[in-house]
Amino acid sequence: MAGANGLSLCGRAMTPVVKRPRSMRSRRPESHDASARGAARYEARQISKSFGGAVALSDVSVTFAPGEIHTLCGENGAGKSTLLKVMAGIHQPDAGEILLGGEPLGALTPRSAQLRGIYLVPQEPTLMATLSAFENLFVGILPRGRLPFSVDWKEMERSAGAFFAQVGLDIDPHTPASTLSIAQQQLLECARALVHRCNIIFFDEPTSPLTAREADVLFALMRQLRERDFTLGFISHRLDEVLEISDRITVLRDSRLVTEMTAAEASRGSIVSAMVGHDIAVRQRRHRDLSSAETVLEVEALSAPGRFSEVSFVARRGEVLGLAGLVGSGRTEIAEAIFGLAPASGAVTLAGRPLAHRTPASLIDSGLIYLPEDRGRNGVFAEVDLERNITAAIIPRLPRRGPLLRPGAEYEIAEQASQRTRIVARSLSSSIKSLSGGNQQRAMFSRWLLADPKVAIFDEPTRGVDVGAKDDIYKIIDGISDTGVAVVMISSELEELVFLCDRVLAIYEGRIVTEVAGDDITLQRLGTLIVGEPGR
Amino acid sequence: MSGIASPVEHQVIPARPGRRDSRRSAALRLARRRESLLIVMTVAVFSITTALEPSFDTSGNINFMLESAMPLAVLAVGQTMVCLVRGIDVSVAPILGIAAVSTGFLAQDDGSSYVLMLPLALAIGAGLGVVNGLFVTYARIPPIITTLGTLSIYAGIELSLVGSSAVQTLPASYSTLNTGTLLPDISYLLVIGVVVTILAALFLWRTTLGRALYAVGNNVEAAFRAGIRVNAVLVSAYALTGLIAGLAGLVYLVYYRGAEGGSGITENLNLLSIAAVLIGGTTLTGGKGGVVGPFLAAIFITVADEAVLVAGVNPDWQPAGVGLLLLLAIMLDRNQSGRRSLREVLLARHPKLPLAPPNEATP
Repeated sequence: MAGANGLSLCGRAMTPVVKRPRSMRSRRPESHDASARGAARYEARQISKSFGGAVALSDVSVTFAPGEIHTLCGENGAGKSTLLKVMAGIHQPDAGEILLGGEPLGALTPRSAQLRGIYLVPQEPTLMATLSAFENLFVGILPRGRLPFSVDWKEMERSAGAFFAQVGLDIDPHTPASTLSIAQQQLLECARALVHRCNIIFFDEPTSPLTAREADVLFALMRQLRERDFTLGFISHRLDEVLEISDRITVLRDSRLVTEMTAAEASRGSIVSAMVGHDIAVRQRRHRDLSSAETVLEVEALSAPGRFSEVSFVARRGEVLGLAGLVGSGRTEIAEAIFGLAPASGAVTLAGRPLAHRTPASLIDSGLIYLPEDRGRNGVFAEVDLERNITAAIIPRLPRRGPLLRPGAEYEIAEQASQRTRIVARSLSSSIKSLSGGNQQRAMFSRWLLADPKVAIFDEPTRGVDVGAKDDIYKIIDGISDTGVAVVMISSELEELVFLCDRVLAIYEGRIVTEVAGDDITLQRLGTLIVGEPGR
Repeated sequence: MSGIASPVEHQVIPARPGRRDSRRSAALRLARRRESLLIVMTVAVFSITTALEPSFDTSGNINFMLESAMPLAVLAVGQTMVCLVRGIDVSVAPILGIAAVSTGFLAQDDGSSYVLMLPLALAIGAGLGVVNGLFVTYARIPPIITTLGTLSIYAGIELSLVGSSAVQTLPASYSTLNTGTLLPDISYLLVIGVVVTILAALFLWRTTLGRALYAVGNNVEAAFRAGIRVNAVLVSAYALTGLIAGLAGLVYLVYYRGAEGGSGITENLNLLSIAAVLIGGTTLTGGKGGVVGPFLAAIFITVADEAVLVAGVNPDWQPAGVGLLLLLAIMLDRNQSGRRSLREVLLARHPKLPLAPPNEATP
């Protein structure tokens, strides 16, 4: 493996490129070369952790071994991220201990964890946007220059390329971090782990914002690190990739460890049933003939230079229309242009009425809603309680007496909406921040269904939600399409599109390439279409 | 599969709270609120000072302190409106001043009644507030910079209105408003302050515009996407702050029985109104808080100020005391939610609408 393509992947050959700064030496009396030594077993023993009253981990013991990719599975809120954060020194456990190579470590901080070779690649990369890629790489351990308090910039620039090459990152080291894609930012985080000489690397749900291709690049890197005897921890919601890459799988549910299995023992079914605690029915696609149903939404020659061009389609009453495409293919941009969030030429007609000057306010009034893909940034009002989050899109329609809203009536409306989407919360006055991702998404569904849409655009409706919430969201989508709502559904999970949609439009590089309908909608067909191959 | 623990049924807990549970948590929430803390602290300061200096506790003195807090209290209620949308207005003092001197001169020269002057004061305030709002919303200049600019402009207008004279004699009806009481020991000025606060609280909690202020302050982009007319809401917030500052100008005129070139600014009302908002538990990070806290905080600041005087501390230390309270209040808030830094807030610009697609906007 090492040196096979002229580029040595062996840590010993690569790492001495960086002169260890004096300050680092003094901080590390042993001055060990971690990557050459090979990682040790890293073990959590009977860890418990609560946040306020909420139990995140109870009595969890897991061992991560060198040369192994060990994946944590579980629904949202099961405790996966918390466990990795405890092991990376970000959270302090309430009980239990952490052992490195059999020795108890005591209290960890992120810094002391890194000094011992433990690095957590966070869910959202935390780069400094205005600094260049190589500056981000060396933040925290800048090589010193000859003068006191100076930085050896030449050294940094020289060695950055080698680190980038190790993780398969092909960029100019001077690129500002803000212009890197999320995939590149993640690889940069991995390179940072190598700079810090860490050999125990945890990945907290790295693939959820990535396309399949980008994820493959990351997996290739993870496999290389495994060859080098690194100890690797991984979290993912995508079971396909879990089965593909893991050597060992641990399932958590409700803050407890449910089962641990080797990859050979694991199957899709066994993981899912361990995650949810009961079997989930295999879904069948429904057969409906909606070709004669009336058209509610008509999009004609919608174009925005550089994003998408000549997009035309119709959506019919009661139909679920899928938009399949890679991230960046233009699917979200099309939806945002329809919803008046970005300018575009072309025409949009809703129930026979042309919509000229589109703004979210006017569209919601006419019966078109858009559930955004980024719930945290574009959906949730973090400081506002659950009730008001639910009623936020219908404030002008709330029952009033004179100029004053009627709180009781509003409560009832919100309560009904929350029951319709089966929100689990202590009360409607709970903070929305305290809810799990699945319940936050249910709240977003409650909000948009209250607006009583004729056309509903759902952008990644099941992103970052647990299996149970996914199932409920599918039922909601089925249910509202039965009542005559035209649903336009954008999803990266092709499986969802296969069993939910009556028709699917495949989008590639800003154009609709093909429409598939009925039983022609298969995983294989969609999979080839979205990467621009004609298929068939 | 043998290692799997016994399956638990997938439970859906209804969103309706148990009644007893909700009552207990409601009591707990009330006790934890900033408003409760402020009342306790005001009473504590008052009691301690009375113990040291018994003359502090006379009904005349209580009334005097409550009255003297009213110009600031009303102004703080106004300041809250922009703070809720992540804004700030450091031009409220000259807005108050302009309203006070222009109504004051009309009252002094023509004997106009305060009933006639009220709409004028409100209109002046709202107009100047709208100017602030337009700059912040459409020219997209950060609120602190916009209002620093208008602070100078408005202060200049105030001085030029006054020239070398001052409002010194007001019609008798104004003094009645100052000295009179609705019930024994409850002065008209206090009643005005309380009514303004109640109306503002009702506005914030029970009107669609009030609701929109919280949404915009919390997450502009989500608010826009939820169909809230963000630009109109922002301009309204600045207009409301101006409107209430105009009203505070009339309160000022009545309380001080006059007004002059530096009215509002010489009393340091800009900083004090922001301090009252923050001490009152409304954050500068937007979307959180209300008007009752700032109203009570204004009273607390005034009582504490008097107490310090009674205790024989040099009044030069008064600004330092307010500053200390301010820092303490911000530290309290940070513990509760440290989502956005103060620096980020102060220099944040109102984003351009319609918002750029995320792939462009994200760093």
